Amino acid sequence: MNKRILKILIFALPLPVILASMFIGPSQTASPKALYNFIFSNSLSPELLQSVLFGVRLPRILLTFITGGTLAVSGCSIQAIFRNPLTDPYILGLSAGAAFGAALALAFFFIPVQLSAFLFGLLAVGSSYFMARKNKNVSIISLILSGIVVSGIFTALLTIVQYYTDPFKLQSIVHWTMGNLHNANWSKLQSSIVPVTIGITVLFFYRWRLNVLALGDDEARTAGINPDKDKLIILVAATLASSSVVAVAGVIGLYGLIVPHMVRMMFGPDNAQSIPLNFFFGGMFLLIIDNFSRTISGFELPIGAFTMLLGAPFFIFLLKKTNIGWDK
Amino acid sequence: MGNKTVGSAFSIKVTDFRGKEIGLEKPASRIICLIESGLSGLYMLNAENQVIGVSSAIYNESVAEQYATLDERIKYKKLPAPGNWDFISIENIVALEPDLVIIWASQTEAIQAIEEHGIPVYAVFLKSFDDVYKEIKDFGILTGKNQRADSLINYTKAEIATFSELSKNTSPKSVYFMWSQGLLETAGTTSTVNELIELAGAKNCCTIDQEHVVINKENLIDWNPDLIVMWHNANIDPGDILSLSEIKHINAIKNKQVFEFPSVFLCDLWTLKFPFAVKMLAKWCYPSKFETINLDDEKNKMFIELYGKRGNNLIK
Repeated sequence: MNKRILKILIFALPLPVILASMFIGPSQTASPKALYNFIFSNSLSPELLQSVLFGVRLPRILLTFITGGTLAVSGCSIQAIFRNPLTDPYILGLSAGAAFGAALALAFFFIPVQLSAFLFGLLAVGSSYFMARKNKNVSIISLILSGIVVSGIFTALLTIVQYYTDPFKLQSIVHWTMGNLHNANWSKLQSSIVPVTIGITVLFFYRWRLNVLALGDDEARTAGINPDKDKLIILVAATLASSSVVAVAGVIGLYGLIVPHMVRMMFGPDNAQSIPLNFFFGGMFLLIIDNFSRTISGFELPIGAFTMLLGAPFFIFLLKKTNIGWDK
Repeated sequence: MGNKTVGSAFSIKVTDFRGKEIGLEKPASRIICLIESGLSGLYMLNAENQVIGVSSAIYNESVAEQYATLDERIKYKKLPAPGNWDFISIENIVALEPDLVIIWASQTEAIQAIEEHGIPVYAVFLKSFDDVYKEIKDFGILTGKNQRADSLINYTKAEIATFSELSKNTSPKSVYFMWSQGLLETAGTTSTVNELIELAGAKNCCTIDQEHVVINKENLIDWNPDLIVMWHNANIDPGDILSLSEIKHINAIKNKQVFEFPSVFLCDLWTLKFPFAVKMLAKWCYPSKFETINLDDEKNKMFIELYGKRGNNLIK
């Protein structure tokens, strides 16, 4: 398909997908047939219909879209500044820190789960950064290595919490780590919207610099950019945005890794274009996946499983169809 | 989980929930019980002196006080806890030299490791109240307390038979059961909770054929239950559920019919205490029909019947 048409589709489709998603769900109260009856024969309780459509579905749809878009944009930015296609927003320990924070709150109820996940996610990334910092410099290799170590520490701490908790709380912790979108509501959306907006706005305005930073530090300095400062700003923005969505949506594994690759395979490596495309494609794709996860059976299946089951075949398809040169 | 039989040399034989036959030459006198509800059964059988190890869950806040009342060794934390429902220490178990280990059937690797040391293992998996009766019957055989086991089972069955006659209902109320993990975690039709609801003369609004299931909020709105019944929850109470705006139009919320079981120990559905939970639920569902039932009296009577003289300490 022509790239221009594809690009138009990616910017134009989210709104129809969001609207269509409003009519997808397990509830018979808000099924297309029930809605038809409501409109033409007014045979349905408007209160229940309103509860399902605007109290349950809409906040979940919007939170899912924002989560998908944020993880994809953060992943794209982090891959660019690390100059490494295998990194994602979780590489510096964000997911492990957030999971530990959530587990701690679920097991001991000392602060709200969402706040705890957010704070420990930030703590993990901050720890990775300061552990890697030496003589006011932060090398990418040191940063990734310290991220792996910090992830390991928080994973170990998570195991200890799981060991001491009871089966009920353990189940809650496991469900949280598999993706937690089924608990979406307006207050969760409200709590994440400000940090996400700040983070995504910063990344949007820095999208041109990502291309220069992706060339390497020396090239960036030649272009008049301070790479250390810019990388720190981008890292903080990506972490702020993604930790906010992880705190409310749980850990959705590998999404921030594979979606930027999908966008790159479709449109090439220009980050200036990729940032907005990642947001719209990432949001829309996660929403489509979530529509499957909430309708395929009578009960909730974790979205974390669906992202890979549905995302991986599409990823492999793109991998086979495009030649981006990673094997050279 | 295939059927396996032991040789005829054993005078005591039972088949556990894996379908495996357990054989003992004499009643077990050194038991490690890694199941909290199972331990409760052993105390009901007056077999506490045969217990030498318990689950670490016994020392958790939610049940520690009651078990401390039943056994001074637990009160002073002198009864070893070599594992729980998930993790076990083989070294500690072997060092205690038990002649029987009682453990959840899902702990397959732990069971294999214990059995490799020649220690008999009775594995438990409870899906219904009949399973609870079987467990106590088998415990009675394994501990040499057969008569006490029969007496406990007869008492509980009689309680249920009397009550189920009273609670029969032609237009049962619908109940949504909420596990302590959160609003959307409920029990399906293949669960002890489903039996509990039906014995109380109500119906489970979740008809999904699973023991534990995570549902969507839309399901809950569609089911529109008359009552929401919470398992004991240390973090949230009925007031929190009543304040959830997204479900404010369902009957249970509109009519303020949200209730919480007050204690894990008192209402444990995996012990012979389950009739008390049945009575409590029935009273919530049909308050006028069961207004003569005094739950405090019922609780006191149950503790004395099930735990004997030590039941008085629980009442206090």
